[in-house]
Amino acid sequence: MSSEMWAEKYRPKFLKQMVDQKEIVERLESFVKSHNVPHCIFAGPPGTGKTTAALCLAHDLYGETYRENLMELNASDERGINVVRQTVKTFARVRTLGEIPFKILILDEADNMTGDAQQALRRTMERYTETCRFILIANYSGKILEPIQSRCAPFRFTYLPREEQDEYLKRIVKNENIVLQQDGLDAIYEVCGGDLRKAINSLQAAASLGKPIGSETVYSVVGRANPADVHAMIKIAMDGNFLEARKRLREMIVKYGVAGSDIIKQIHIELFRLEIPENLKVKLAGIVGEVDFRLVEGASEEVQLSALLARLVEAGYEFKGG
Amino acid sequence: MHDAWIVKHRPRSAKEVVGNRRAIEIFERWLRSWEHAIPTQRAAFLHGPPGIGKTVIVEALAQDLGAELIERNASDYRTEEKIRQVAGFASQYMGFFGKNRIILLDEMDGVYGTVDRGAIPAITEIIKNTRYPIVLIANDFWNKKFVSFRDKKKFLIIEFKKPSVNDIFKHLKKICVKESLPADDDALRFLAQRSQGDVRSGVNDLQALGQGKKRLLFSDVSWLAYRDRKDVIFSVLRQVLYSKSCKAAKQMVDLADVDIDMLFEWIYENLPYHFNIPSELAAAMEALATADLYRGRIRQTQNWKLMRYVIDFMTAGVAMARRKSKPSGWVPFRFPQRIRTLSTSRAERKKKSEIGKKIKQRMHVSVGVANKDVLPFLKIIFESDPSMAAGLAGWFNFNEEEIIYVAGGKRQANAILSSVAN
Repeated sequence: MSSEMWAEKYRPKFLKQMVDQKEIVERLESFVKSHNVPHCIFAGPPGTGKTTAALCLAHDLYGETYRENLMELNASDERGINVVRQTVKTFARVRTLGEIPFKILILDEADNMTGDAQQALRRTMERYTETCRFILIANYSGKILEPIQSRCAPFRFTYLPREEQDEYLKRIVKNENIVLQQDGLDAIYEVCGGDLRKAINSLQAAASLGKPIGSETVYSVVGRANPADVHAMIKIAMDGNFLEARKRLREMIVKYGVAGSDIIKQIHIELFRLEIPENLKVKLAGIVGEVDFRLVEGASEEVQLSALLARLVEAGYEFKGG
Repeated sequence: MHDAWIVKHRPRSAKEVVGNRRAIEIFERWLRSWEHAIPTQRAAFLHGPPGIGKTVIVEALAQDLGAELIERNASDYRTEEKIRQVAGFASQYMGFFGKNRIILLDEMDGVYGTVDRGAIPAITEIIKNTRYPIVLIANDFWNKKFVSFRDKKKFLIIEFKKPSVNDIFKHLKKICVKESLPADDDALRFLAQRSQGDVRSGVNDLQALGQGKKRLLFSDVSWLAYRDRKDVIFSVLRQVLYSKSCKAAKQMVDLADVDIDMLFEWIYENLPYHFNIPSELAAAMEALATADLYRGRIRQTQNWKLMRYVIDFMTAGVAMARRKSKPSGWVPFRFPQRIRTLSTSRAERKKKSEIGKKIKQRMHVSVGVANKDVLPFLKIIFESDPSMAAGLAGWFNFNEEEIIYVAGGKRQANAILSSVAN
């Protein structure tokens, strides 16, 4: 059996190997040809090839020794201003010796950087432009300071179209000698919707079950991988069982480590799918928004979400009673 | 007859002593050096907080080295004269069987200026000429009465630190095995945490709660922290949940002098069981959530004046939510689960973040994304396909403990581990 995660094994190494994001790849290739790269922002949803494109660019630019001229930082893990002041600066200011006079610094999940850190980054980018080019990667470019955005060439990544995702998965299927049925392929697209990393991880997990992969296998794998069954929790609350709903909430937070903000996001989505009067949806959305804001103010996720569940119990009761 | 476990399970050898490996190593090396020649540092001064094994290590090493231990502690008189009589003699003349000898002056903190007049100068004098190692033990080395022992050329100064929670946990577990007392890990971990590095108090608590039980459960120990507080908490809770006036709900907090955060957890845990009308439950939870919001604001701004609003909402706010709600029958109060999960899941969270870091190194994602988007799939693979899992475990460089975590148990992990071996 394979001894790698397929998402890595089949990650393109060169720009030429990237099947998707055609226009972006073309522009990046022209950077390679001219031996010049501006500061860039790669923005777009997860699993659409942002990090891959940045790594490929570096690989094409520097060849096999690209690691020496590349630094990868993840702003979610190193988000404070000190990282910019120390790690980033130290790397950026030292001139490289190769044919290409600058290094590349990839700052992944840059939308998670603190405001201070972004301010500090702004100067660093300017001052060391000659020796270092920055590639900022983010889901939403909106969360990156305007002055930084204006110094960068923007690239907008989009979800892979169905055919390209299918093509990609089929290549893996062939190589790994597994059986993926058509309904399995449909199911992967339905649940992953063009997020290639999730699609490949789902495929590999499904393959580990050791039988031909049909839609049921895919749904069960993806279901198990998403313990945050917010939908079920809401339903339990609306049916009036507060204690059980709170128990589910606790499991999500404590056992599976799901972030409160993710749960809220999900509740917000589910809310508008509920079969309740329209005006009640709006009322509940207001409460969800309030909880969201309170978390920013430092309140506890579990307590606030529990209070929200109590509101759902109340709403369910009113709805049924009236 | 029941022995005190702290005596019964006292380490017999230095290897069995909990924690402080480095300090023990230095100390042992020094003791052994006496076998060849008298070193320039003729005395060792062991210091550190109580209950962490300073005396125990001297006793254990005396065993290991086959040395006779001459011990004096605070219960003995320590006048100049007495010191000279006992320690002075022992430091010069051989024992009956020509055995090695260690002179231990324990609990030096208890040497007082007036009663034990001249004791310290006498000890200093004896150390200068001793032919056997002298060991001094105290909690507070930096007390000015010990100033004459601070010369590092003449004294080997070794600081003993509190053993980690994990070390104490393992020690307690070992004792449980010897006593044939099955115990939940989270119960032992709770005791270990509560001991705050004091092994002795941890073992005493274990005996007090565990002896004679068929099995030691978390619920057997969790009360410990609130041993004397249980009744107080209960009466405050009752008042908060059922008061008819704001004043009555609020005043209990002042009268009872309970920890606000602790009380908050008790209210949060128990509140839902005491409101049976949904709109009133929602109002009560909202009051509690408002109190929680003020706690958050205090944390962020350090503006402690806001504390009064926390109290308002968690007591009066909750009480005033009640209109007609009445629980059917008697409802027992429950121990707050959040306190329990916080103490037990810390180790788990740490393991998870280590795994996240390893995924990050391989897959160009943040630790957060690794845990959210990769780990769940990895778990499925580890549960279903040992050979693929074995390959991946190698690729990620997971250790055995991490494999067990991802596989969700020892049984599944064994299949993977044997596949690794092949």
